[in-house]
Amino acid sequence: MNLLALYCTHQTTPLAIRERLAFASREQLAKAYAELRRRCPESEAVILSTCNRVELYLAQPGDDTEYTRQQLAQFLSEFHAVPLDEFVGELRADSGSEAVRHLFEVISSLDSMVLGEPQIVNQVKEAYRAAEEHGACGPLVHSLFQGAIHVSGRVRTETKLSEGRVSIASVAVGDFAKSIFDHFEDKLVLIIGAGEMAEETLRYLKDEGVREIVVINRNPERAERLAREWNGRAEPWTDLDHWLGQADVIVSTTGADRPIIDAARFRKARAAAVGRTAFILDLGAPRDFEPAVGNLDDVFLYDIDSLRRTCDEHRHARSREIETARKIIAEEQSEFMAEFHRRASGDVVSRLMQDWHGVSKSELDRLFAKQPHLTAQDREAIERTVERIVNKLLHPPLETLKHESRDGAPHGLIDALKRLFRLDG
Amino acid sequence: MPNVNLSCFLLSYLVAFGLDVARLRSKLAWSRWVAILFGGAGLLAHTLYLLLRSSQSQLPPLLSSAHDWLLVLAWLAVLTHLFVSLLDATIASGLVVWPIVLALVGASYLVTSSQSQVLDFHRGWKMLHAAMLVLGTATILLGLVLSLLYLWQHRRLKGGQMRNSGLTLPSLERLERFNRWSILVSVPFLTFGVATGVLLSFLNDDDARLAWADPVVLGGSVMWLLMCGLFAWLLTGQRTPGRQVAWLTAWSGGFLLFMMVGLQVLTEVTRMPSLHGTGAKQQVRPMAK
Repeated sequence: MNLLALYCTHQTTPLAIRERLAFASREQLAKAYAELRRRCPESEAVILSTCNRVELYLAQPGDDTEYTRQQLAQFLSEFHAVPLDEFVGELRADSGSEAVRHLFEVISSLDSMVLGEPQIVNQVKEAYRAAEEHGACGPLVHSLFQGAIHVSGRVRTETKLSEGRVSIASVAVGDFAKSIFDHFEDKLVLIIGAGEMAEETLRYLKDEGVREIVVINRNPERAERLAREWNGRAEPWTDLDHWLGQADVIVSTTGADRPIIDAARFRKARAAAVGRTAFILDLGAPRDFEPAVGNLDDVFLYDIDSLRRTCDEHRHARSREIETARKIIAEEQSEFMAEFHRRASGDVVSRLMQDWHGVSKSELDRLFAKQPHLTAQDREAIERTVERIVNKLLHPPLETLKHESRDGAPHGLIDALKRLFRLDG
Repeated sequence: MPNVNLSCFLLSYLVAFGLDVARLRSKLAWSRWVAILFGGAGLLAHTLYLLLRSSQSQLPPLLSSAHDWLLVLAWLAVLTHLFVSLLDATIASGLVVWPIVLALVGASYLVTSSQSQVLDFHRGWKMLHAAMLVLGTATILLGLVLSLLYLWQHRRLKGGQMRNSGLTLPSLERLERFNRWSILVSVPFLTFGVATGVLLSFLNDDDARLAWADPVVLGGSVMWLLMCGLFAWLLTGQRTPGRQVAWLTAWSGGFLLFMMVGLQVLTEVTRMPSLHGTGAKQQVRPMAK
């Protein structure tokens, strides 16, 4: 069995190269599988392409054909029309047991940009499903990827690698906004500016059920675009104070070079909203709200730094779980490889058992023909005894074979068994 | 009947409280369940204790003595807390509930446990009077717990401290809503309890004379007036910041707890004439004849 993993990830390769090597569309992926089948007809293959990684997994059952890292790099170069020397130094390759470990680490999100993030499991499953759809899977890839999915499940349930949110927007909504508000259906969300992080925060707020969104931006076109995208409405910049007084959740990312709202202005804007809680997420750098706004009663103001502290604490807590996850992966990797090697010797084992039981059966048939007075009960007892003798005689060599398979395919032993018992014929 | 005494459940509650406190430092999931287990064991012993006393006096616990009355209140608090904990094991309500429960059980040590012998007349009215007051007080205690949780959560959020992910508190919005409801529900109970008390004193002239000098009655009336004011303010006033409501409820609840326990103990220690203590029995017993 040969297994090769060739990959470039966010840890090894700049985005500029990764995006040129990515398999972005379904059509591109279909063509890639067709090309791989043409170049490596005996191989099973899976292509995993996400924004953080491009990975190729190739497996073939025999030891006769062995594809090299160079051949796969050549495939990537020709397929994407990217000169080889522009990226070959960025590629990493693992084979055999190391390739298995790499996949197990990837699916357990140990190799992800955000440790413990859950999306990678679905991305790997999706890649496996696409390979199956394109007829690129065989028994090796099936057992490899099913094993990987099993490992990711174990890592997630047996460690705290996925506990605690680690992105600023998810912490803001999941840890803070949900500790203030019970439900979001009746809350008005005001977006000031139109930064990328505001959009990410909106996604989380929408998931919580937010219905009413107002976008205010100095640039009305940008406000319109964002409002349209999130099913909200754009309001003119001049109405900012009015909406500050109406909103329950305020997300601000204006990019202004100094705070635009001080405590006095905010208090005045909220004069008619006494007793109503305001959750302000100031994602601007420099900040859009003066820190003194957070001292007002029923105002909860969080800036990037305060949220980042929580993210870092969660990240730190997750990193303490890495060792436990690696132990699980090492255990599963060794189990997987042993099983793989057992399969390599499985053919010899089954032929050996078949031959010995065949011999015993023909000898018993001869005995029963000579001894017709034996009752059915006697025959059954004799058959069972002989079967036990054969199994006991076969047990030591088969156990040795199993034991030797733990560290790799025991080619020498398999050859010896084939020659000793003439299993080639 | 098993041999159950006050220490059995007091110790169980202490262990449960200790485990909840320990969770502030270590986030061991099992400790929460062990705390619930100890709380449950304590509640079972508590229930058996009340049943035992009730069967001995042939009276419901609410009427037999101030000791039993306080224990019924503590029992209601524990029952509510365990119910909430089973619904959501991560909510750290025990840190607020257990000290109140321990204070109530501790106070029951100090007040009379001699069972009343004066309940042969107007028993139904007296039962109603005691039940309404215990329910009103329990709801105010619930408000006290909710407001303390609110202030704790408010402080955490203002400081941006959401680190103890093992310990969660309900959202401010939910705590505020339940807190307002607890006040709105407690006042009708208390009003009905006070009204039945007045009615009972009119039904017996000697009681009426004693009632106006009874510190427990006087303190309770002040408490009732205070809660009525809070009730009216919540219903008629402008929308109030949640923190302000929480502070007011916390003060009222704390004051109630102090008055109720403090006055009971005071009448017990000073042997002041009271319809609700040992002194009462000395005063009232001849009337029952």
